[in-house]
Amino acid sequence: MLADAPRVPLLVHFDDQYVWSFTPGRDGSVDGDTFRIDWPGAMRPFLSGTTRVRVATYDGEVVLHDDEVTFGAGDGRVAFVDEEGAPYSIDKVGHLARAFDETPDDVKRELLEATQAVLRELREGCGVEAYLCYGALLGAVRQGTMLGHDSDVDLCYYTHHTAPADIIAESYRIQRQLRSLDWRVLRMSAGDIKVLWSLSDGRTAHIDIFSAFTIDGTFYQFGNRNGVFDAAEHLLPLGTVTLEGVEFPAPKHPEEMLSFIYGPSWRVPDPGFRYQDNPVGTRRLDGWFRGFRTEVPPWADVFRPPAIERVPSGPSSFAQWVEPQLGAGAPVVDLGAGTGRDAFWFAGQGHPVLATDFSLAALAHMRAHRDATGEDRVVLEMLVMNEMRRVMSLVGPLARDPHHLYARGLIGSLDEQARENLLRLAGAVLRRGQSLFLEFSATVPDVELPLPEPSGLTRRFDPEWLRREIEHHGGVVAFLEIGPGTDMFDEPDPAVARMRVVWPHP
Amino acid sequence: MASARAAKTKDLARRVRDRVRTSSVFDRSLRGRVLRLERELEADRQLHRKIAELSDVVAELLIPIQDRDEERVTEVLSQYRKSI
Repeated sequence: MLADAPRVPLLVHFDDQYVWSFTPGRDGSVDGDTFRIDWPGAMRPFLSGTTRVRVATYDGEVVLHDDEVTFGAGDGRVAFVDEEGAPYSIDKVGHLARAFDETPDDVKRELLEATQAVLRELREGCGVEAYLCYGALLGAVRQGTMLGHDSDVDLCYYTHHTAPADIIAESYRIQRQLRSLDWRVLRMSAGDIKVLWSLSDGRTAHIDIFSAFTIDGTFYQFGNRNGVFDAAEHLLPLGTVTLEGVEFPAPKHPEEMLSFIYGPSWRVPDPGFRYQDNPVGTRRLDGWFRGFRTEVPPWADVFRPPAIERVPSGPSSFAQWVEPQLGAGAPVVDLGAGTGRDAFWFAGQGHPVLATDFSLAALAHMRAHRDATGEDRVVLEMLVMNEMRRVMSLVGPLARDPHHLYARGLIGSLDEQARENLLRLAGAVLRRGQSLFLEFSATVPDVELPLPEPSGLTRRFDPEWLRREIEHHGGVVAFLEIGPGTDMFDEPDPAVARMRVVWPHP
Repeated sequence: MASARAAKTKDLARRVRDRVRTSSVFDRSLRGRVLRLERELEADRQLHRKIAELSDVVAELLIPIQDRDEERVTEVLSQYRKSI
């Protein structure tokens, strides 16, 4: 399509609405004289109908295309908008975003006030050196306003700690402080959190709070920025910048910070910019701070239409097998409850249920079901099996008020650390004859079996390996059966293991 | 269908690779030793989060629980779970 395309960022507009930006040479591929680039996946469902497609450089001096284009068999104009008709654009990680360009002034003002409130709390309440960073800093320095194509606000704070464990502990402390104000705070990794701030137009603004630090001479700033940057020289003591007429704390030399983040050509607008992070530093950050949330997005897709519609609503055959073994009215913790099909069925049989999952989408689905049915015997709680402190926070309450533990399809989705936490929890709380009931897709020696569903998110697990892990944690497999069963969607699975595990206590 | 086949091929490739990598010849090779070191380093990096989580539990939960004030313990436990 774009023969002889320039190697500068190109902006794509549909009927004068900015929708996307890319850079030939970095994105897409060249085939002879022809440059090809796919429409972003997030845009494709909207590509139906006719629109005037304009592809041009930021300053409009070079226009490669400006004409009507018809997509698919759709009638009318292409509408790249949300349910309320607000225009979308594609952000730098390929997601749908509502850009500041399209945000009304009063809402923009609200977002700035929210940013100030968060910064104030970080500096005064938490005592950390917090500053405006990334797109907001770039907009402030380059033009004094927010960048039209940005869609969120990023804040950073510099910590003088040099051991990741201390940096993580400080991030926990900050999260606790912000939560104490009843703010909605999400943990994205052990080194960054996000404040979700409701705006008056019904939208939720995301204010990211990233830690920055220096370890062994390398400067790191979440997301994945890492490299040579002298914080003592260019960051501290903090200075200020003016954004939309409001003063914000900023790095002492903001230009140096922008050059570190975006490279020496940071002054040239590039809405489709992509970071070029050193993979060595990224691997360190992954090891120190990440690894417990990587599967959150794909699991969220499972718990939303259309995938969730494949999960039957009645009880699984495993739940029906377990229930008679529980004892009348005995409480149960459903670990990785998913849609809650078994949790709500147990409740219907008279069992108080604590239904846990690490997926917010799963919890939202269960909450909606609980609200619709009024089933108040089901209590919902987020539980990330990889997060030891979350698991340990359940030990006290469950040791006092014993529950059976129930986990269908969970084992195949856990890594070693999460299984260790699960077995540690079970060993601590199953003290009065309660059991841990497990069902999972099993491996069978020398037999090739199909991969279990949902593909890529779960795998077959060796029951004998699990038995060894259980015994290592002091548990006893009281029952094990391997046979044909069903997967998460009740589709046939040729090898499913059922286990009842107990922890004998003197 | 195609994605299931691709996943199956990937799974097979992973198993072949794992078998090669668990052989004693590979383990003694330089590549094997570097891989082992990287794995061990990675495990050490992950200890940082474990230490931070344990310190958090000790500071926020165990110390208040030493007070043996039943009402306060229940309150602390509930607040802790909300704050993380």
